Amino acid sequence: MYEKHIMICGATGCLSSGSNQIAEALTEELEKQGIRDKYRLVMGGCPGFCEVGPIIVIYPDEVFYCRLKTEDMAELVETHLIGGEIVERLLYKGPDVEAPARFYDDIPFYSKQKFNVLRNSGLINPESIDEYIMRGGYRALKRALQMEPQAICDEVKDAGLRGRGGAGFPTGVKWGFTNKAPGPKKYIVCNADEGDPGAFMDRSILEGDPHSILEGMIVAGKACGADEGYIYCRAEYPLAIRRLKNAIEQAEEYGLIGENILNSGFNFKINIKEGAGAFVCGEETALLASIEGKRGMPRPRPPFPAQVGVFGKPTTINNVETLANIPLVVKEGGAEEFAKVGTEGSKGTKVFALAGKVRNTGLCEVPMGITIEEVVYDVGGGIQGGREFKAVQAGGPSGGCIPKDLLHLPIDYDSLTQAGAIMGSGGLVVMDDRTCMVDLAKYFLSFTQKESCGKCTPCREGTKRMLEILERITEGEGVPEDLDTLDSLAYSIKDSALCGLGQTCPNPVLTTIRYFRNEYEEHINENYCQSGICKPLFQYRIDKDVCNGCRACVRVCPVEAIKGEKKEPHEIDQELCNRCGSCVEKCRQDCILITRVGSEADVGN
Amino acid sequence: MERFVDQCCEKCTHTKDTPCKDFVDCCLEGPICHDSEECAKKRKAIVEKVTLNEKFVIC
Repeated sequence: MYEKHIMICGATGCLSSGSNQIAEALTEELEKQGIRDKYRLVMGGCPGFCEVGPIIVIYPDEVFYCRLKTEDMAELVETHLIGGEIVERLLYKGPDVEAPARFYDDIPFYSKQKFNVLRNSGLINPESIDEYIMRGGYRALKRALQMEPQAICDEVKDAGLRGRGGAGFPTGVKWGFTNKAPGPKKYIVCNADEGDPGAFMDRSILEGDPHSILEGMIVAGKACGADEGYIYCRAEYPLAIRRLKNAIEQAEEYGLIGENILNSGFNFKINIKEGAGAFVCGEETALLASIEGKRGMPRPRPPFPAQVGVFGKPTTINNVETLANIPLVVKEGGAEEFAKVGTEGSKGTKVFALAGKVRNTGLCEVPMGITIEEVVYDVGGGIQGGREFKAVQAGGPSGGCIPKDLLHLPIDYDSLTQAGAIMGSGGLVVMDDRTCMVDLAKYFLSFTQKESCGKCTPCREGTKRMLEILERITEGEGVPEDLDTLDSLAYSIKDSALCGLGQTCPNPVLTTIRYFRNEYEEHINENYCQSGICKPLFQYRIDKDVCNGCRACVRVCPVEAIKGEKKEPHEIDQELCNRCGSCVEKCRQDCILITRVGSEADVGN
Repeated sequence: MERFVDQCCEKCTHTKDTPCKDFVDCCLEGPICHDSEECAKKRKAIVEKVTLNEKFVIC
């Protein structure tokens, strides 16, 4: 028996900030002290709070250590493991807590979260099927094997589970279509082709709790009458793929995948298909083409995959997070329990990758219906540097921008759609008052334009024309008609593009025009970018009344554009200044102003 | 018995080729097909080895 269990975050985020080295240093220290055997070290799944990684949680003491370095391990072993005292300096500290916080319950980042999908992440060894079973795993499968397929579909429908991949289609209804489709051969496909920039919800679930996906797929197979499944996972998720392969091997050995599962007469096998990373392969028909070995391009629907899917057979495609919910929904009493959380039209929880200018970046799982304000300020800890919230981009590059006025908006499928955004797969990028919304729209559109597969003209050509207009506007060459042209092109693409990606890619442009029209007009009519992002449309000037001549900006300027004697107000040579912003970052007096080109005064910093 | 899939005694017949319908329940509540304190202890030992706290195991 172990004295303590040391759960080290072994997900990609913490691995890249050094959790492997932490584990090595800890092991070395334990061996040096001759106490290695007393402790169980596990490279577990993601506890979500990536901002403060690498993270270690020690059980049963329930102590959360963060921002760890290899050199902290000796003290951790000496003081906590041997001495039984908590190492206070390694606990979570921040402006949102009065004293160093010891465990999840004390850390505001976790206070409004509810773990359904991430229930096992960070708690179990993701490479152990036994631990998954201890956490209630494969109970839903056992129950489903004793149910009629339509009864499973009905139960999932009654629970109110909607697809977490973007569109929010009711999962039970989708399963029912495949169940009713004729033919002996059907497939279940898990869409793990997470392509939104900054999104890593699916990766974390796959890395932290792979058996939940397998169980979800087998239950889906039973409900749909399918005997084979594919997990389509991008190849740049090597850890997720390794853990999935390990989980499949274990489930096969345990008789939970394969022939005659639990003596029920039901067979199911699971294959992994590694994708090459094209954004369009997240679109279901493109994904199916890619599984078949063809170029990943969407095709018109109907026929829908439930009728004609992979290899021409009826197929259900579910996203990773949707499938991870299935064991909770289908277990005994699970549907009722699941439906208790969320709103009337959006049940359960949603996992978000919280990124951008928020203090606490990372992964969070919150009940549907929580407001944007709660996510940004309570979970996210507010805006970095105490700046002002400006907007949040919900739903990735195909999503939309939600402004400050709508901070009270509940996060659910219907409210987000009404606001012009989408739930998408769960990316939330928070922006502060220094974000130029025209530039932001250009960024997201340039992403979708580059990733356009080129099959349909509206998306291929339309996004290119829209991007050209946005580039002109940000270079100070916009004309007043541009806004109408953008609007018209956007709606043409939405109405006529072949697939969901094309139909949603104008969303960032439409929502920024809808909520931040004044910024577009300022760019076009006044040649001015108030956020100081579009370089031809502003100048930096030093506020001589505030500058104390500390020379911090002089030292950091890469083009030697700032002149001035020590303790005397400095000045920027506009001919030399390349508006890189290094001086703004460095200035402690906030005396570098963003002004109109040619203007001496004005505006903010 | 190191893992749940290992047989607790000759009475357990669960393998992938001869699957038992009660296998999943048996992991935490077993043995189900026979009475044996010793076999129950073997399962309990697997659980106790990795249990983080009293909330960890979900039956």
